[in-house]
Amino acid sequence: MQQHTVIDRAEDIAEGVVSLLLRGTTGSLAPWEPGAHIDLSLPNWLTRSYSLCGDPADAEHYRVAVRHDPLSRGGSEYIHHYIRAGRALKVSLPRNHFPLLPAPRYLFLAGGIGITPLLPMLAAAVEADVPATLVYAGRSAAAMPFAEELRSRHGDRVRLVATREDGRPDLTALAAGLAPDTLVYCCGPAPMIAAAQAAFPADRLHTERFRPAPRVFAENKPFDAVCARSGRTVPVPADQSLLNALNRAGIPVAAGCREGVCGSCEITVLSGTPEHRDDIGASDSRVYACVSRALTPELVIDR
Amino acid sequence: MHASVRPRRVSPAEVRARLGAPDALVEAKVLDRIDEHFRRFIAHSPFLTLATADAAGRADCSPRGDYPGFVKVLDEHTLAMPDRPGNKIADTFRNLAENDGIGMCFLIPGMRETLRVNGSAYATDEPDVLARMHTEGREAELALVIEVAEAYFHCGRALVRSRLWDPASQALADEMPTVGEMTTAQLNLAIDPKDLDAGLEEAYQTLY
Repeated sequence: MQQHTVIDRAEDIAEGVVSLLLRGTTGSLAPWEPGAHIDLSLPNWLTRSYSLCGDPADAEHYRVAVRHDPLSRGGSEYIHHYIRAGRALKVSLPRNHFPLLPAPRYLFLAGGIGITPLLPMLAAAVEADVPATLVYAGRSAAAMPFAEELRSRHGDRVRLVATREDGRPDLTALAAGLAPDTLVYCCGPAPMIAAAQAAFPADRLHTERFRPAPRVFAENKPFDAVCARSGRTVPVPADQSLLNALNRAGIPVAAGCREGVCGSCEITVLSGTPEHRDDIGASDSRVYACVSRALTPELVIDR
Repeated sequence: MHASVRPRRVSPAEVRARLGAPDALVEAKVLDRIDEHFRRFIAHSPFLTLATADAAGRADCSPRGDYPGFVKVLDEHTLAMPDRPGNKIADTFRNLAENDGIGMCFLIPGMRETLRVNGSAYATDEPDVLARMHTEGREAELALVIEVAEAYFHCGRALVRSRLWDPASQALADEMPTVGEMTTAQLNLAIDPKDLDAGLEEAYQTLY
């Protein structure tokens, strides 16, 4: 389902970062919780996901912040060049693959524009009186959106690291001084995610990526998608994704990033074992049809 | 099929004399770079035609299309265009290896004016260029880098006359046999044209 919005404000908030304030034009916007993201449907036919970084209590607005990626494929570049206040934009319902789970204390690790999902998380933790620390790294203070706002609002809970001067934060040292019941949330570029994975125990660490982790998968094998609801069996050949095979068979599945990051194409699995290739961390009861396949000859899905 | 009498040839001087001198405005509108207006045009264009010629001047023109903005503006003198799976004939690359001249005509559905870009081009596999062309989980293996010599808007008369964006014009396609029917006839193939059409339809499902 799409929600209709209009850009109320588009402003440059840091070097190469624009903040968009979207207002719902047909009543309140769907509610969300910290960690959620929405897909923007851009006029150039591309769909791009951005974390919501505004106030969840504000049912009239969503806020996203977008960094202009110098290697943009056409999403962030388009937004920076052509999306201005006053423009109508369709957005998806919020989805959350990065929810804030209850914990006695939190450590938030942000790298650059990875600050966006952590912003409402920190605010929620502070509001709930849960001890929380944010370590926020960026190239330079000028390139770090929300840095001043965070310092003035949350004071010593926030540590800013300008990596060009101070180098990258030492996550191993952070991990050594950490209370064992701390939950760690990390969103940032691939090297930061890798450093966090090396430094913190996997069961205490939650991560979110901008782009898929580079990985090598086993050779594609064909399988059958058995659609329980429509009673049809759709063969998925080795050279085709589950998403394309279903769409071609006339069983429509929405898609966003088509690289296993955004979660638009989630399908419920009723039986069979998926071969997960997404970066969301699907359980075996779900599959992201754009990238994931099946380990069993059949995958029974709720379609 | 040849005309029984060759149509007569008009000399270049006579052509110029008959057309008259170009308007000053027409000449002034040619820029040597991609300014913000041309960049916006390219960002919204999903289709272009691309012309090259080999060393002997044998010319070739081919269509290219993808999502709007599939041609990237690297800087105001340089464009990059992905090479997507096609017929693997690679006429464009072969021509450019001999003769780097290139002419492009960008279209935006619904817009009458087109954007013309002329310059020179070469093939690249530069990772930072290919990364920008990654789509649907696949990277382009090659891209064209176009060094812009001139760029200008081409007036919309051709598109107005051709009613190109008028939905009613699509009725013209109904007057055509299918490609399967035409090809089997042209090549005297002993196969069912429907199989050829079905195969083509199948191939169209894999765009990247």
